Amino acid sequence: MHIMEGFLPDPWWQIWFLVSLPFIIVGLYRINKLVQEKREVLPLLAVAGAFVFVLSSLKLPSFNGSCSHPTGTGLGAVLFGPCITAVLGLIVLIFQAIFLAHGGITTLGANVFSMGIAGPAVAYLIYKAGTRAGANTYATVFVAAALADLATYVVTSIQLALAFPGATGFVGAFTAFAAIFAVTQIPLAIIEGAVIALVFKYIVQLKPEILTRLNLLSESTIQKLREAAA
Amino acid sequence: MYEVLEDFARTNDLREVSTGLKLIIGLSSILLSVSSPGLIAPLLVAVSMSTAILFLAKIPAKVYARLLLIPVTFTLMSITVILFITGGGEVLFEVPGLPLTITTGSVNLAILLLARVFGGMCSLYFIALTTPMTGIFDILRKLRVPAVFIDLAMLTYRFIFILIEEVGEIHRAQEMRLGYGRFRESVQTFGMLSGALFIRTWESGEALVLAMDARCYDGKFDVPDDARPISALSLAAVLIYCFAILSISLSTGGLTLV
Repeated sequence: MHIMEGFLPDPWWQIWFLVSLPFIIVGLYRINKLVQEKREVLPLLAVAGAFVFVLSSLKLPSFNGSCSHPTGTGLGAVLFGPCITAVLGLIVLIFQAIFLAHGGITTLGANVFSMGIAGPAVAYLIYKAGTRAGANTYATVFVAAALADLATYVVTSIQLALAFPGATGFVGAFTAFAAIFAVTQIPLAIIEGAVIALVFKYIVQLKPEILTRLNLLSESTIQKLREAAA
Repeated sequence: MYEVLEDFARTNDLREVSTGLKLIIGLSSILLSVSSPGLIAPLLVAVSMSTAILFLAKIPAKVYARLLLIPVTFTLMSITVILFITGGGEVLFEVPGLPLTITTGSVNLAILLLARVFGGMCSLYFIALTTPMTGIFDILRKLRVPAVFIDLAMLTYRFIFILIEEVGEIHRAQEMRLGYGRFRESVQTFGMLSGALFIRTWESGEALVLAMDARCYDGKFDVPDDARPISALSLAAVLIYCFAILSISLSTGGLTLV
């Protein structure tokens, strides 16, 4: 759900840059520390960023024929945590603006907040809560990715409603934006959840060492998941 | 589409012009469009940027026209909302039974926003179509953006092109085996595509680590930059252009269509 270049008026695009900035700084600090400890992290983070970019530039299968793209950041958040994902999100959004004309330069701050920060944070929290509660891993990943998508779209609606409250005030404007975007975003969130859960399943089946190395799943959980599939 | 944009950035007729200058033109045009209170300035920006794209950079008109259609969906949806929820001025149209009205105030706001988006998008396309990403990395380095960010961005950039090829191959193979026949199937197939993509990228990332280690990678990339000097004349021309648009934007601020 990218906000186009030129759409956010004057105080708002600067405000969203300021809001996103601390997350980016923390993320950069974390990446710097990680890279100093383990140099091989950098290419792997880059790969994750490129994956998010390519995934989000593919068209998802959808019912209503609308042009819908997955965000892919849910997976990044589950793998690396929200602050690092914010930096990946920033890089991906810059490339999307310059290669694909999705989003823009002035709206970068707002888009980073909705897609790189709010969505991943939701995904991360749900994933953590789910694993702590001992829920089914795939179900947790599905819910995390789907709700991350929904969070992104709710935040975008809030951003637009704050900038254009109109005659009805913030709540009315928010309802209007949320209602019109819901048409494409709710089916999209469900499909994205399913797709990301499938991705997770393939990783568990084919290359589980990625997950154990990032301390996401223990050997025993993976063993259990693989047995359940077999 | 992505590879096309970057291809043009590397082959257009403005590629020899200094990256810094192109970024100054593009970014200041975007800022001028976004902050303009009236619709004349963004439209002028759109016209001048499009002229630069079509006649100076010599991007084919057909390609450019197709690019301009990309933002249409989002813009139409949001503009519709703005038309109905903002008020002010006379009521032009009312939905019977619902609190939805279109007023002169909302029409004016919608038109202003359309003009801004149009101006901003044309300037964004100017950057996208004339400036290769590698030049932008040089500029970022000069602006003292943290090295780890630039390295990460450069590696991401490299992997994007590798991945796009892989996606194309896998997608074609799936299409040939009727993977996208029914809706359920296509979700399944798409998940398979994304999963395979992730694992393949991860493996190529690990291969890159090995290759870089073998070449004594110490956590830093040194890339020679090929910056070109900005001539005083062209800088002056750009500044005159920016001031002209700024003064037009200030003097036509109150002008509205309805």
